[in-house]
Amino acid sequence: MYDAEEQALIWLCACTDLDDRARVLLLRAAKSPKKLFDAFETYLSSVIKEGKYRAGTRTERERARDEFLDTLSERGYFAVTLLSDDYPAALRAIPDPPLVLFGMGNRSLLGGRKFCIVGSRLTPSYAERQGERIAAQLSARFVIVTGLAEGGDSAAVRGALPSGNIICVLPHGLDGCYPATQASLKRAVAQNGLLLSEYPSAEPVRKHHFYARNRILAGLSEGMLMISAGQRSGVSITANFALEYGRDVFAFPYQIGAAQGVGCNEYIKKGAFLCTEAEDILSHYGIQLPKAQPVDLSAEEAAALAALREEGQMHLAELAQRLGRQIHEIAPLMAALEIKGLAVKSGGNRYSAL
Amino acid sequence: MIAQIACFALNGLEGVPVQVETDVNKGMPSYEMVGLPDTAVKESKERVRSAIKNSGMLFPISKITVNLAPADIRKEGAVFDLAVAISLLKASEQLVGAAVEDIVFLGELALNGDLRAVNGVLPLIISAKARGYKKFIIPCANAAEARYLGGAEIYPAATLLDVVKHLLGIERIEPLETAQFVPHSSGKNTADLKYVKGQPVARRAIEIAVAGGHNLLMVGPPGTGKTMLARCLPTIMPDLTFEEALEITKIHSVAGVLSEEGIVSERPFRTPHHTATTVSMCGGGNRIVHPGEISLAHGGVLFLDELPEYKRSTLEALRQPLEDGTITVSRAGGTFTYPARFMLCASMNPCPCGNYGSANLTCSCSAGEIRRYRKKVSGPLLDRIDLQVEVDNISYDALSSQATEEESSSVRERVNEARRIQRCRFEESAHKTNAEMGEREMRSFCSLSKECDDILRSAFERMHLSARARSRIIKVARTIADLDACEYIQPKHIFEAVSYRLYDKMG
Repeated sequence: MYDAEEQALIWLCACTDLDDRARVLLLRAAKSPKKLFDAFETYLSSVIKEGKYRAGTRTERERARDEFLDTLSERGYFAVTLLSDDYPAALRAIPDPPLVLFGMGNRSLLGGRKFCIVGSRLTPSYAERQGERIAAQLSARFVIVTGLAEGGDSAAVRGALPSGNIICVLPHGLDGCYPATQASLKRAVAQNGLLLSEYPSAEPVRKHHFYARNRILAGLSEGMLMISAGQRSGVSITANFALEYGRDVFAFPYQIGAAQGVGCNEYIKKGAFLCTEAEDILSHYGIQLPKAQPVDLSAEEAAALAALREEGQMHLAELAQRLGRQIHEIAPLMAALEIKGLAVKSGGNRYSAL
Repeated sequence: MIAQIACFALNGLEGVPVQVETDVNKGMPSYEMVGLPDTAVKESKERVRSAIKNSGMLFPISKITVNLAPADIRKEGAVFDLAVAISLLKASEQLVGAAVEDIVFLGELALNGDLRAVNGVLPLIISAKARGYKKFIIPCANAAEARYLGGAEIYPAATLLDVVKHLLGIERIEPLETAQFVPHSSGKNTADLKYVKGQPVARRAIEIAVAGGHNLLMVGPPGTGKTMLARCLPTIMPDLTFEEALEITKIHSVAGVLSEEGIVSERPFRTPHHTATTVSMCGGGNRIVHPGEISLAHGGVLFLDELPEYKRSTLEALRQPLEDGTITVSRAGGTFTYPARFMLCASMNPCPCGNYGSANLTCSCSAGEIRRYRKKVSGPLLDRIDLQVEVDNISYDALSSQATEEESSSVRERVNEARRIQRCRFEESAHKTNAEMGEREMRSFCSLSKECDDILRSAFERMHLSARARSRIIKVARTIADLDACEYIQPKHIFEAVSYRLYDKMG
């Protein structure tokens, strides 16, 4: 299944506790993973001076490698190495591509056009709903790349999941799930889409893994959309990587001073594309989707929606006053608009148009 | 000589007959009490001795044996004092010619011979009446609660001496006149919806909740009037009927929390603090099993302020009573069933800091904190709360043009009308309100048109509602249709009901 070179590379990433820098130095010295595997002691002592790491005997190395490959196939995981044909080209182009990616699910998604949609955990509900919708529309042409956190990431996953064009990159091994509450979403992605991680299966979640994971999110994708980003958000880190790698950055605009959108506005200021609907992204790539069916609206619903669009966000009581109706006549209208995907409740009995 | 006097002991909400038998005999002077009395009953020996002496009568210096029959029931409290004293007087031949056999004596004695109030007089008299007793002598202090019972001669006495004079025919005590039950007669409930400023959304929700007997959860930042709204709930509930009032009064009488008025004329509103234990909530105690808060809230409202602050085990204990309307408490002293059909109204903040979802304040909670906070309330409990509504902190001064606040009484008229429709609907079943409907009733009374069914289906797809929300939505829609006086559930009713599934969307 994996040739000797690939096996050696997988062993290097999964069975040694070296850091990435050491791995790259060793590979550079040995020219090929297989040579490194065969004469690991020699290279180890010549490249890494301190002698912190134990090389082990060749039989030990072989046993560790085979054991790991066995568990990999046992659990239904696969490994894509830098040497594999289907290693994503865009990711290969970044300065420090992961040597091996472990995956679970639909491997063919690696070949598709990829677009990254991410958002912070505290995403306002209307932005979540809008992000979900855009993810759904984009997933007709792109594989959506995102994380598995709550909030913005989950919205992107929910949007893209029905089409199956979804890749989630995890900041931990494929066995785990962080946060644990997302287990069912993770299962759904493994079934319909693809889970990726650069860490061996049992690796727990660590703070610095998020940073490293974000480079993969940006590296895999042609462009990215920031659904929401606070002052110091992981989303901004991903956007930084995307800019560094020369990928397009799109962002939702936010009200001045809105805590959940400071990062988004910052990037728009720096030159990111302002995005309010899927059209903005699709037209950038010269893609045209067939026009969606217009939604049937009653006259009252249309009036309520028009008022909402005008104000952006309105309290039920304000709406009732504007339309000259009672609250209990307005509440059903808003629920109807919400069900039709045109409005969303944004807390405190206020509604926003989408 | 032997004397036999009738008395009644409390067993849950029922009275069990107890015969007080006293034998005064020649022999070494002694005073024994037998028949499984507890400490408070044994101590009655001393109270009875002093009360008899201080009332100017003779305490016999003989061999005295008092037996409380049947001997296999444990007797508690001071309710037997009067019966013991009377039987002693009778046995020592100080009540010659007085007919005491058909009278039930209830009351505690003070050392000077005064009669003191005891708990549970109302359920005791009701049980005794059912067993054919017609005459009762009770302490004056318990007269208030007893006066609503017709069909019995109830004599309120102030002292032991009064009782003796009455029995000997020296000075008759006037029997209580039966009082007419008037709901809301105390007028102590000062809350009214007209004092609640704004909150039109929540107002509507509590109207629906009361109309259909649904449980209610109010979510909103601190200081937005959640408690105030909850206090208005009893004011828009239908008036108590006499039977309901009697049942509630029985519970309150046993618990010893009756007011001066004697009968509960307003629907109870109980607000146990969130440090309440499971036992105080559900009822319990060492040997005497007291009714808990949920039984005291029977027929009224149990308001749990800051729901996530309650102990989880306490909240979970509410699940079964919420289904059955009764609570069964088992203790060493026996197993007791108390009624507990109440309307649950709960309030909580949207997140630990309270600002989540607020228009102008920033929430400082992390996603994990918010999740943990909400997880404190379990799914099965939420499942029993049909309406979840947001109470917001919008300033209504800006909207003052429509700020004519409706009074509780006019809301109650609409509620009464909706309840009337429900009474007709459930004529042949044991249910009273829409909230109590089971699957079978829902099938016959809540048939949905194709349009409504489609709406529900798309609501589930679009809004990620949990599966358990479905029947809740339909029941609430049924109530909204009743308020609207519509025979069939219409799309707008479904839509409105969907808008009250807040927690499902919060996830």
